[in-house]
Amino acid sequence: MRSNRRNLLKSTACGFGYLAAASMAQREVNAGSNNPLAAKSGHFPARAKRVIFVFMQGGPSHVDTFDYKPLLEKHDGEERTFDDARVLAKTKKITKHRVFKSPWKFKQYGECGQHVSELFPNIAQHVDDLCFLKGMHTDGVAHGPATLFLHTGSINFVRPSVGSWVQYGLGSESENLPGFVTLQPSMGNGGPRNFGNAFLPAVYQGTPVGRAGVSASDAQIRNLSNPKLDSDEQARQFEALRKINAIQKNSRLGDSEMDAMINSYELAWRMQRSVPDILNLSSESEHVKKMYGIGEKETDDFGRQCLMARRLSEAGVRYIQVNYGDNTNNPRWDQHSNLEKHADHALKVDKPIAGLLADLKQRGLLEDTLVWWGGEFGRTPYAQANGTGRDHNPYGFTSFVAGGGVKAGFSYGETDEFGHHAVQDKIHMHDWHATLLHLLGLDHEKLTFKYSGREFRLTDVHGEVITDIFA
Amino acid sequence: MQSNFKTIVLLLSAQCLSLTVLGHLNAEETAAEFFEKEIRPALVQHCVRCHGEEKVQGGLRLDTREGWQAGGDSGPAIIAGDPQSLLLQAIGYEDVSLEMPPRGKLPQATIAAFQKWVREGAFDPRSKGTVGDSSQADAPTIEQGKNFWAFQPVVAPVVPELSASEWPKNNVDRFVLTKLNEKGIKPAGDATKENLLRRLTYDLTGLPPTAAQIERFLADESDKATDKLIDRLLQSGHFGERWGRHWLDVVRFAESSGGGRTLLFPDAWRYRDYVIDAFNQDLPFDQFLKEQIAGDLLASEDRFDRQRKLIATGFLMLGPTNYEMQDKDILEMDVVDEQLDTMGKAMLGMTIGCARCHDHKFDPIPTRDYYALAGILKSTHSMKHSNVSTWNTVELPLSAEDEAAFLASTKKLQVIEKQLSEATRVLNTLTGKRDEQPKSVDPGKLNGLVVDSVDAEVVGDWKSSTSVAHYVGKDYIHDEQKGKGAKSVLYRPVLTKKGRYEVFASYSTGANRATKVPYRIKHRNGETVVEINQRKPPPVDALMHSLGVFEFDKDLDSSVLLSTKGTDDGVVIADAIIWLPISDSEINAISQQETKGADDASEVEVEARKKKIAAAKSKVDRLKKEVKALKSSMPKRQVAMAPREGESPADIHVAIRGMTHQKGEIVPRGVLQVAAWDGVPAVSKEASGRAELAEWVANERNPLTARVIANRVWYWTMGRGIVASVDNFGSTGDFPTHPELLDYLAFSLVQNGWSIKKLVRQIVTSRAYQLSADVAEDDLALDADNRFYGRRTVKRLRAEDIRDSILMASGNLDLTMGGSTIKKGTSSEYGYEFEGRRRSVYVPVFRNRLPEIFEVFDFADPNIQGGTRTASNVASQALLMMNQPFVMEQAEDAANRLVEEYSGELDEMLRRAYREVLGREPFEQEREVMIDLLALNDQHGTPPQWAMVYRLLFQCIDFRYLN
Repeated sequence: MRSNRRNLLKSTACGFGYLAAASMAQREVNAGSNNPLAAKSGHFPARAKRVIFVFMQGGPSHVDTFDYKPLLEKHDGEERTFDDARVLAKTKKITKHRVFKSPWKFKQYGECGQHVSELFPNIAQHVDDLCFLKGMHTDGVAHGPATLFLHTGSINFVRPSVGSWVQYGLGSESENLPGFVTLQPSMGNGGPRNFGNAFLPAVYQGTPVGRAGVSASDAQIRNLSNPKLDSDEQARQFEALRKINAIQKNSRLGDSEMDAMINSYELAWRMQRSVPDILNLSSESEHVKKMYGIGEKETDDFGRQCLMARRLSEAGVRYIQVNYGDNTNNPRWDQHSNLEKHADHALKVDKPIAGLLADLKQRGLLEDTLVWWGGEFGRTPYAQANGTGRDHNPYGFTSFVAGGGVKAGFSYGETDEFGHHAVQDKIHMHDWHATLLHLLGLDHEKLTFKYSGREFRLTDVHGEVITDIFA
Repeated sequence: MQSNFKTIVLLLSAQCLSLTVLGHLNAEETAAEFFEKEIRPALVQHCVRCHGEEKVQGGLRLDTREGWQAGGDSGPAIIAGDPQSLLLQAIGYEDVSLEMPPRGKLPQATIAAFQKWVREGAFDPRSKGTVGDSSQADAPTIEQGKNFWAFQPVVAPVVPELSASEWPKNNVDRFVLTKLNEKGIKPAGDATKENLLRRLTYDLTGLPPTAAQIERFLADESDKATDKLIDRLLQSGHFGERWGRHWLDVVRFAESSGGGRTLLFPDAWRYRDYVIDAFNQDLPFDQFLKEQIAGDLLASEDRFDRQRKLIATGFLMLGPTNYEMQDKDILEMDVVDEQLDTMGKAMLGMTIGCARCHDHKFDPIPTRDYYALAGILKSTHSMKHSNVSTWNTVELPLSAEDEAAFLASTKKLQVIEKQLSEATRVLNTLTGKRDEQPKSVDPGKLNGLVVDSVDAEVVGDWKSSTSVAHYVGKDYIHDEQKGKGAKSVLYRPVLTKKGRYEVFASYSTGANRATKVPYRIKHRNGETVVEINQRKPPPVDALMHSLGVFEFDKDLDSSVLLSTKGTDDGVVIADAIIWLPISDSEINAISQQETKGADDASEVEVEARKKKIAAAKSKVDRLKKEVKALKSSMPKRQVAMAPREGESPADIHVAIRGMTHQKGEIVPRGVLQVAAWDGVPAVSKEASGRAELAEWVANERNPLTARVIANRVWYWTMGRGIVASVDNFGSTGDFPTHPELLDYLAFSLVQNGWSIKKLVRQIVTSRAYQLSADVAEDDLALDADNRFYGRRTVKRLRAEDIRDSILMASGNLDLTMGGSTIKKGTSSEYGYEFEGRRRSVYVPVFRNRLPEIFEVFDFADPNIQGGTRTASNVASQALLMMNQPFVMEQAEDAANRLVEEYSGELDEMLRRAYREVLGREPFEQEREVMIDLLALNDQHGTPPQWAMVYRLLFQCIDFRYLN
């Protein structure tokens, strides 16, 4: 039997987190070694340590939420020429459309005087903490392409998702938890590719908790609990496995990959213990649950997601995505007709998001957590096919961010007077990706991975860091 | 992370992130770098569309240096060094009559870049007649390129002489040993027979050896035992399943299109079966490649051969394609690009795709060559366009008799169907029914507000179906009689007026339906639940059942919720809900009609009518039967995913920087110059050129093809390629560790008529293949990565091996070969349940959904061409092995089987389980641990105890690793 097993590990991937017996000191040592998930420092000091991305699937309308356009009211019902993205791509023609005013009233809020429509009365209370990006634009006219573009920076090619790049760049802060978690992700519009690692090592892939269409109270990491064995049996089995694996490892010569495999079992075993506690909301006070709208019919589900996101961020998860979506080809916010349905969706997310912002702030977490709210594109300021809804608009839309190093009570960028095209201080999705990485201390041009003979990066050959929004 | 040498990011493309080059900075390079990074992209993005080859607005071109020097209608656009240059004024929006670009002012940073550029002399490498990005001095020329090892012709290398050594078993060993001697590495000893058997059986068939095979092999002490084993395994049909799957990795095989709106490929399985069959039949590899590129254009011996060759071209069609893309020109070029990229990497080991936007930075592939190849595929018809486009399909030929029978039956069918419709009309007239409606009803044709199931909010897994009439829209959905109570469908109407509405539910009826389907109507006055018996035909138009009349507000809170609670007695159908606005007078009218229907008629008349109806009905029934019988007996036409020649084959333009709408010069169709030789056939004007392309790829004179496949076969057997980057033989790939051996293998492959089986045999009969994995510490340090094959590289079981082996142990593996395996009635991969027990190679491969066991154990990502598998160790694998219901169930079945079939001595049973799963007997220490678990109260061990043993065997190191 060999005891002096030399450490010839290359980079053996070993799980959601490496299993060194866990002191901080130990981790520092590991950071330089072969653990691909050890916490790493970025290219420059970080303004944010973690991200919570609140994804509004389907494309919420900016002109009905945060981008107030009085001209829409003035010209409501008039036929005007707009270079509609879909018509243009299909027919290369520019046609007339009916201007469609917002059915919702806008009011100014906070010291910054940001306009918010009556769809988001609760988020409106936090505008002095938010930084609005009103000149967003992106690639992809349809949901599939634009959703993939938002998550991976590419429409057609299989690329790692933002969260995977972040993990690859910074590693994980937690040794019991995955570093990139996506809550109740949609299985449509690219599905797992939106949290996939593509060509990056598998350790960087996002871990889904539940999936869209399943209630948040049942959301769990797959295979985390055993359907049949009681905990004694599981413990007995695990003890036996430890012994068997030790015997088999010692019967071999010279391959230390076995340690990585053994470690993956140790981590799984620990996750089985720690994760359910983190996702279990019963220890939260009634007061906190109420902030998130938990217990109220409309907001319970999304409120739970938001609260789980806060608990995960506290536990050291680096990149958390909260999803308001479904599995269909016309996802939630996709009101091609019946724009009024926006009110349903707003009702379901407004209070939970406001609760999350308030809760992060009161715990001091907002300082180093970057909250990012947005959809894959916005909607047109005119009615689609003269109907009662709005079509997709990749040319101009609004996202907001908060916390981790961005200006508070600030608004950056503009769309034209109707809200169709971003015109001033535009931020392309590539620019936002570059900026997000920058806030986390990563240089988007240096965060590269060699695959298939060349270096790849999240922003391909694009992306400009928008420093104007930095606090 | 970035490498540590000094880097200059050179010009970057729309699709490709450029690489880095070594070099000294000098003034020109800095200016060039600045131009490429800041100016060229801005010009292309903002200016060239209107000031380029296509449109020359204002007489100004900004796509060449000469263009801005000469300037347009207003004179030179730029005078180097002059901050007052017209172009700067225009982009600065200084003069209202001259604001460029007209769509909006450029970002300040871009304007600043232009100012800097002009101030510093406006360096511009673009000269008239240059195409795309020709500014790179670094890319090798074609002639330089030909000196690179991979482009050198393959010649038969001299087999090294080795003095007095008994070690080599064949020539492969002579090359390997020579290198080991050179490096001073002492080879490991031979593998044990147990290890060798398990290794060979997995490597050649992807399955574990059975207990009986182990006994037989261990008992055979002859010298020829191993050779006999190898012959047997090569003859096994499982060889093609294992090796076909290797090729399916290489060609990114999948059964759906992936991307956002992923579409199923219902006929992709034919290509999969074609590949498996090709390996089993040992189809000469050059022929195999030709068929995949241009099978439709090759001569065929008979109809079956023709079918095979059509199916083979599925290779071109199976890519991850975003058919939803709205700009179809771009879509077509993206598909061509994907085809080229896959062909390049899979067959030639070349990253051709890089040259789409610029001359390849490191390999001698100019942009021209890319578009020469692209022209061939662009002249090939691979798609049918509509909002969401689809791939091309072709009908597979029937035999002459079948073809005749098909035509005859079709004619006959038309006649009977006509009779049937006439008879039905007669019957309907008699019974007062309207003409039989079509199966489905267009929601637009219904009165009232229709919310169909596609627009409803669906919870739980519902399956789409169209099998039973009548329904609204394109389909209805049903609950598969599973998950009762957990599934629901919520319909929300958008009522523009408040008032009274009659609410209808449509459903397709049937004998297997649930009898108490609850519909909860939320209306102004509260909620009402109505239960409907879906076994009874819906009374209104054979389509709908009324849920009653209710008052609704205009607000958004109105809904109908259909749930599956309490519907255990049958399938629940969810189709449309219809809100029909109603006034009081209409309500009265309805109730009057109902009473009026009961008209009196004399008994005699009634009897006569009854008879007539009975006669008409029996005629309809008879004709229906005939139609059904004819349809089931007539030959079926089947289709394959395959391209066809385009209507007007043509050379195409270079797309500048890869942007489809930025057209450069036209280049004649052809092949890669660097890998061409005198006499490569020129592409004919009248055809796409795929035939010539196939001829060039699958040619012994092509320096890449034979090397690339020989290297793959080596990788699939030895666990590491001689060229480690198996898909990249370019200068950014790895160099061969044993160039002579690689050429020897490539040369022998061609000599042996491109027989893959002979090549495999050559490798696995070598001593190098049959070495032990154990190695002394010192030798380990000499060659940690085992680049020189002084020992066996420890391989891991692949995802498919793991699944198949677990199913073998439980006795549940279904060894049926071939055929379509996507469950009938599947309309989307999302939510697909992988339940089958067939071998893994037959499990449907969807681009956005794979069986979990594939996903966590590093199955090939079907979205990416890739000839190697990664090997990760992640906690999700451990969680799956510990807790997944599939693993739990198979362990139980294995345990039950063991207890029933081999109940005997505890030790005997344990040996049996070990042999089945690990291919060996337990070590003494392992035995102690296991016996401890087993011998608690029953001397044979109970099934639950044995299930734990099996789970441990599935979880342990020696299961996952192959010695």
